[in-house]
Amino acid sequence: MKRLLPIHFLAAAAVMALILHSCSVQPCYEETDPVMHTLLLASGTGETAKADSLRVYTYRETDTLKFINQKGASTFSVPLDPANDESLFLITLNGVTDTALIRYYRVPHLVSPECGYTIVSEITGLKTTHNIIDTLFIENKSVNLDGQTNLHLFY
Amino acid sequence: MARRTCIFFISLFLLAEIAAVSQDTVTVPLHVRAGFDISGPVMKLLSRDLVSYGVLASADLNSSLAATAGVRYSSYRSSDVLYDFRSNGLSFTAGVDYNFMKANVSQGRYSAGIGLRYGLSFYSEQASMLRYTNEWGAGETFVPFDRNTGHFLEITPGVRAELFRGVTIGWNLYMRMLISAGAGKDLKPVWMPGYGPGTSGMTTGAEYYISISIPYKKIKVFIKPKVRESDEEETEGENTGRDTGTGTSGFTNRL
Repeated sequence: MKRLLPIHFLAAAAVMALILHSCSVQPCYEETDPVMHTLLLASGTGETAKADSLRVYTYRETDTLKFINQKGASTFSVPLDPANDESLFLITLNGVTDTALIRYYRVPHLVSPECGYTIVSEITGLKTTHNIIDTLFIENKSVNLDGQTNLHLFY
Repeated sequence: MARRTCIFFISLFLLAEIAAVSQDTVTVPLHVRAGFDISGPVMKLLSRDLVSYGVLASADLNSSLAATAGVRYSSYRSSDVLYDFRSNGLSFTAGVDYNFMKANVSQGRYSAGIGLRYGLSFYSEQASMLRYTNEWGAGETFVPFDRNTGHFLEITPGVRAELFRGVTIGWNLYMRMLISAGAGKDLKPVWMPGYGPGTSGMTTGAEYYISISIPYKKIKVFIKPKVRESDEEETEGENTGRDTGTGTSGFTNRL
């Protein structure tokens, strides 16, 4: 009996180690911010088009929120407002500004116990002005963490 | 008994070989067992977030197979900066355990083997507060109370030994593979009762059981007598020498 005990103590120690490991706080290494990916395309040819300059921003009651300001962009990614069911973006392409209103519904999404939750969205519709934008259509309505293109913007 | 138990754990194969040549048929008692997992109360002492109490019952079908079933109550609560989450529920497992030990060694009292079980978890989950941040700013929302049913598979290698007559102790590791958390892709539970983190495809851990064991039937099991390898080698050696006619002795004979 005495010789049996060490084996069970070892087993108990292994159990304790596993429990302690499972109880320890782990850091978050995962992507937690879903963004709406948009691809810029040339009207007529349908080929990817690089904009000389691109700015994407929105006006809020108190300030202006700038998302993108770059040159030579052929894609851009912006987050949707997780507190509302629609987001308004002002898109300035080569110095010409259009407005795009994106409508969606929001769903909490658990990333992991370490990273917590984020808000993913399903696009339900959109509206745009046509100063420089020819067409803006939904390629993939799920704005989540998988990185797929959501909108095609023809200009 | 104690010495034998100890030897069993240290050198299973040695024992098996010794016993194998001793007899052709052994009488093995089949048992029914019922026990509880003592790692649950230990976890409760270490972590207030998780309460997990499990009971397990098994019945020997023959000298190597046992049908097993378990019930576990789990309650989990997590409250931190990112979210407040709680879940609780009952999980049920059912399957078979296979004992690798030979009947004449295990004698119905010891086991070293592996189990395969199917698990079903009936649970509720709720995140009363969750925080998010992105470029638009920070905010809070919640996930309402919801009831779900999850499914998983469990593989459990482990050992069991009779401590006293009628009382067995045993521990096993477990690897649980999630089939479905039953809550959709977005609202997987932070902790699925009976399984673990709902975002993990596989979870691992260990359980430590104390069980009451009652014999209900005796069966006779035929044991194949083991042929001694050393005898075979001696015989082969003699034959080789005669048939080929090579080596010192063969050459000498020809002369």
